[in-house]
Amino acid sequence: MTQSMSTKLLAVFPIIVFACLFVYLGVQSATFFSLGTFELIAKQAVPTVIVALGLATVVIAGGDDVVAGGIDLSIPATAIICAAIIADQLTNQGNSLVFAMTLAFGAAAIIGAINAFLVVGLRMTPLLATLAMSVAIVGVTKVITSSRRIGVTDETIIFIRDGDIFGIAASVVMTAVLVVIFYHALHRTKWGMNMQATGGSRDAAEISGILTRRFVVQSFLIAAFAGWIASVFVLARGSGSSPGTEENMLLEMVLATFLGAAFSPRRVVTLWGAVLGAVVVSALSVGFISIGVNVFWTGCIKGGLILLVVASAAVASKGRS
Amino acid sequence: MTLKSIFARFGLIIIIVMFFSFFSYISPVFLTFDNQVNIIEASAIVLILALGMTLIVAMGGIDLSIGIAFDFGAAFAVVALKDFGVAWYVACLVGVMGGALIGLLNAVLIVILKISPFMATLGTFFVGSSVERVFTNGGGPISYRRMPQEYRDLAVGDVFGIPTEVIIAAAVCVVYFIVLERSIFGKRIHAIGLQKDAANVAGIPVRRYMFIAFILASATCAIGGLIGSANIRMFTPLAGFSYLLDAIAAVFIGAAIHPKGRPNVIGTIVGVLFLGMIGNGLNLMGLDFNLKAALSGLILVGALALAVAQQRFR
Repeated sequence: MTQSMSTKLLAVFPIIVFACLFVYLGVQSATFFSLGTFELIAKQAVPTVIVALGLATVVIAGGDDVVAGGIDLSIPATAIICAAIIADQLTNQGNSLVFAMTLAFGAAAIIGAINAFLVVGLRMTPLLATLAMSVAIVGVTKVITSSRRIGVTDETIIFIRDGDIFGIAASVVMTAVLVVIFYHALHRTKWGMNMQATGGSRDAAEISGILTRRFVVQSFLIAAFAGWIASVFVLARGSGSSPGTEENMLLEMVLATFLGAAFSPRRVVTLWGAVLGAVVVSALSVGFISIGVNVFWTGCIKGGLILLVVASAAVASKGRS
Repeated sequence: MTLKSIFARFGLIIIIVMFFSFFSYISPVFLTFDNQVNIIEASAIVLILALGMTLIVAMGGIDLSIGIAFDFGAAFAVVALKDFGVAWYVACLVGVMGGALIGLLNAVLIVILKISPFMATLGTFFVGSSVERVFTNGGGPISYRRMPQEYRDLAVGDVFGIPTEVIIAAAVCVVYFIVLERSIFGKRIHAIGLQKDAANVAGIPVRRYMFIAFILASATCAIGGLIGSANIRMFTPLAGFSYLLDAIAAVFIGAAIHPKGRPNVIGTIVGVLFLGMIGNGLNLMGLDFNLKAALSGLILVGALALAVAQQRFR
């Protein structure tokens, strides 16, 4: 009895920790629990939510073993190169947004296809393949931008930055729609079920006649697609493309996605978990800044949290078996 | 021998030779003795970190925090020299112990708390980089211009005309070769990497070996940090991160040229020198900095893809 009690307690332990953190932030800062802060948190979370959706899809289709299963570390780099292409086309080449985005889409599709080829075709470890790809993509981005910032003044991009739809920030509304689309596709369609089965147990899925390789390929293409979408919001947030933003995004994406696993009952990576994880990470960043914590400590707090979550998951699963 | 089997065995070696010939043809400077020494000297630090990584990957893990161990090695040594005025060899010892602390953290997280190496070392990376930022008030370097000449010589000195850093790297290579390829300890590390459960059943104290290996790897990376800080006479926060991918890539390229596809010391040396050669050759071609970054990234992906493809053909 006590055994199962302690296991149960351990299972909700991360949630308790986060709840305590937010209560603390709310007590310390009078404005933390206000509509303005919530909107700020949501707006800040936008690009991370989108790339985390992509990563969650790859993990769902590839299994959640971080080394042997599915992982795509090249999504932030994809977002950055797409942002660079769009900014370059708009500002330096004077082309339309539609043309620029089409070109960026082509680049993202190529990246997704190469990732899929490396992982499915050559059976390269996803971690290694996408990490190397990330470096190559960042290199090519440097050629496009000459390592310089490119400002963007396109009306649509400015609207995504400043505009609102029914009184809610436009970027937040658009991201919410995207989340619903992802959720519907992965949880409410036969295609999505097959993809989940692929990640759940590759062998079992294959025996039941699912072409698992096809789903893994598709997951990498979707991840690149998420990077493409995120690029628009990256551009809006920075009013243009800036070099060197992919590293932080990479850390936030991985943190959000795997932190999200702590909120799911079975401790697996899920879409909702990834979204919630990104929002929680954003809320913590905003919260700690609002109570005046040294900004250099935030990395430590984030790192500590992810270790706490993963460790309690590991200990909990040991208690169960 | 069919064409396929030749590719399976020598594919990557052929590519390396092709790049070597290409650079020799393009640049008259490339093949000179001085330039070849340059390549080796420039590869010394990466090699030391890549050897630490080889140990971890051979054991079936991964270490994303080697850059932090590198930084801690540099930071502990520079602070010991600057603020405590210790002798240079004491500073080296303190630096290596600083790096070992990172290994200890990893070992506790992975062996005792049973977190997967990827997540654990990623967490260490987060925490470590944050500690570095706080310690340096946001990432400013800690510089010490008047460091003892002996310490400075770790990077710029030479013994009988051979640069000290090359000698240090060579010494680390020899130690790693003996430990990983010629000792019982090494055999058991490989056994753990191949079949952890079987190794456990066979009576290998798997947990103890993993614990030691993570500390050993981080301590090794700290040696790289010593050389790095001696070279520029300062500790630069987060400088170690830039070695991570090269170290991982070198290990996997090295595994590809091994007959059984295992991570190994000789292979890692070849991998590091290959990457060093690419960097050097692209420099000599006088390419634009940005184009160079793009090309070396693409060559890296190509080489890794080839390395993996080669193993699949066996």
